[in-house]
Amino acid sequence: MMLISLRHINKIYTTGEVAVQALDDLNLEIAQGEFVAIIGQSGSGKTTLLDILGCLSQPTSGDYWLHESHVNKLSDSELTAIRNRQIGFIFQTFHLLPRKTALENVQLPLMYARVTRTQQQDRAQELLTRVGLHNRMQHHPNQLSGGQQQRVAIARALANQPALLLADEPTGNLDSQSGNEILTIFDELHHQGQTIVMITHDPLIAQRANRRITLLDGRVLADESTESPTQPILQEI
Amino acid sequence: MLGAIFRDALKNLSSNMLRSGLTMLGVIIGVASVIAMMAIVEGGQVWLVKSIEQLGSNLLFVWKKRLTIEEKRLFAGRNLQLRYDDALAIRNRFPNLKVAPIIDIDSQLKTGERDYSGRMTGTSPEYSEIRNFHPASGRFLQTSDIQTWNRSVVLGKTIAEVLFGTQSPIGKEVKIFLGARKIQKKSDGTNGEKKEPQRVGEYRFTVIGVMEPKGEIYGQDRDQMIFIPVTTALRFFKGNDKIGSIVIHVPDRNHMEEVTQNLKQFLIQRHDGVDDIHIRNQGEFLGTIDKTISTFRYVLGGIAIVALLVGGIGIMNIMLVTVTERTREIGLRKAIGAKRQDILLLFLIESTTISVIGGCLGIVLGIFAAYGFGDLVAQSMPGGGDWGAVIQPTAIVIAFVFAVAVGIGFGLFPAIKASKLDPAEALRYQ
Repeated sequence: MMLISLRHINKIYTTGEVAVQALDDLNLEIAQGEFVAIIGQSGSGKTTLLDILGCLSQPTSGDYWLHESHVNKLSDSELTAIRNRQIGFIFQTFHLLPRKTALENVQLPLMYARVTRTQQQDRAQELLTRVGLHNRMQHHPNQLSGGQQQRVAIARALANQPALLLADEPTGNLDSQSGNEILTIFDELHHQGQTIVMITHDPLIAQRANRRITLLDGRVLADESTESPTQPILQEI
Repeated sequence: MLGAIFRDALKNLSSNMLRSGLTMLGVIIGVASVIAMMAIVEGGQVWLVKSIEQLGSNLLFVWKKRLTIEEKRLFAGRNLQLRYDDALAIRNRFPNLKVAPIIDIDSQLKTGERDYSGRMTGTSPEYSEIRNFHPASGRFLQTSDIQTWNRSVVLGKTIAEVLFGTQSPIGKEVKIFLGARKIQKKSDGTNGEKKEPQRVGEYRFTVIGVMEPKGEIYGQDRDQMIFIPVTTALRFFKGNDKIGSIVIHVPDRNHMEEVTQNLKQFLIQRHDGVDDIHIRNQGEFLGTIDKTISTFRYVLGGIAIVALLVGGIGIMNIMLVTVTERTREIGLRKAIGAKRQDILLLFLIESTTISVIGGCLGIVLGIFAAYGFGDLVAQSMPGGGDWGAVIQPTAIVIAFVFAVAVGIGFGLFPAIKASKLDPAEALRYQ
């Protein structure tokens, strides 16, 4: 069963008089449980694709089906609900709220899902323990290393058990060891059946995924799959 | 959910204490000035009403109109002017009223070394009761003083002190002569021997009483008043029977209008059908003062409200800055599922919190300011001793409600702006 189905997606940005075609008749299907890396140079349309997949912006034309939702037909508040329940975001710059503890940061999506406070705390503690931060729960982001911050962000992304985990250059701000730790968590999640879409410009990191989609000028240039992702590449560097 | 948003708002405000405090200061000053202004105006009103009532209650004041030259010509030969006879006639015609004629004369008083210039009042014994102004020692004028036009004088407290120091003035002698009249030299021209200039109209009076201290009321220092019998004043100092005014006490406050009408008719009749007198009652004075005070209330209240509005603009300003600073946070919150109203509330509660806390502090400051200013007025204004700040609960409620409304009103625009941010753009805002 396909989790994501994109048909004839166009996205045109108009700044002043200049129109930029960021996505050009893009077609894409992603099945449940896949670990997909989207590769491409800057300007290839990676970020635009991520925004559309993450329901952060709507395509100019074309159809997007996520699970059973016809996303491009949804209202603003319905999109918000989908972002909250179906999608977990992981960003290059972590995007943790600086004045909140790790625990409170993880609680945030649960709060917006109107989960009771005790349930929020229980779930957040469980998730932080899962990413190995059981002794860092009351720390603020500035008291955590980059890798730890990204693990908090992963815990937050998983809070509402999303159908799709979207990662935008998740290792871009990390040293190789921390990056590898993050990718290891992704591997584990993948093995547990979590669908992951990861954007990267680094082909080596893309090797960790079982499917690599290369974008160029808003179109799919290449789409290749490996049955078993090659694990040890990063460690050789 | 609301609780969580409120905790967030407090956390954000306390994380930038200086900025929150300065923003709050606008609201604090606004609320404080509303309360202080209202309290001072209210205090002024209470003071004025009290002052007027101290003049004596249920009073009517009768005095002559100023006629134009045409009118004077037109009514020539008729019986015009307010005369002592009028006062006596009123007394005969309306026996239940207390009537006191009043005539003011500029005079000089002299006792041995000391002298004093001031206004002297010729009146009748009823005056003391009508104006609720009594002697502290000795006695006030009596009917016999009027009948015999004797040369008795009752002194105000200050004047007694000026002329006699700590001694008791009762029974002592005072020389009184006209203050305004110029002293003329003998004009026999050549070779005139230099004599002491003859004082015109100098008379010896006996002090029969000293009035109680009463202070200044309505622009008149009653401790500087001098009373002599009205008949004496007319005979020795005026040479005619024209009086300045008549003050009348009406026993029943409810009949003021009726009595005024009757008096008016009676006097017009006496003045050969010419309406040349004014009659006003204290209620009208109070009404005038009330209007004046209301004007003050609106003017000062308006200024204070403007201060509060400026505070509100301060809130809006700082909230706009906050929204810009926290654009990425807004983007993140939206990405992980915050609805528009969640973002709206986040910022609206923040601005409202500023105005609520500012409002509370403003109330405290306003109360202090009001009492502080009240004391200042009491110390600096002669006779203003009773002018304290009167803080009404309604003023506090109005100021607080208005402050909160300002916080919500001016916080709304930045909050709406935040809630409408595009999540994709906001997330990548630099």
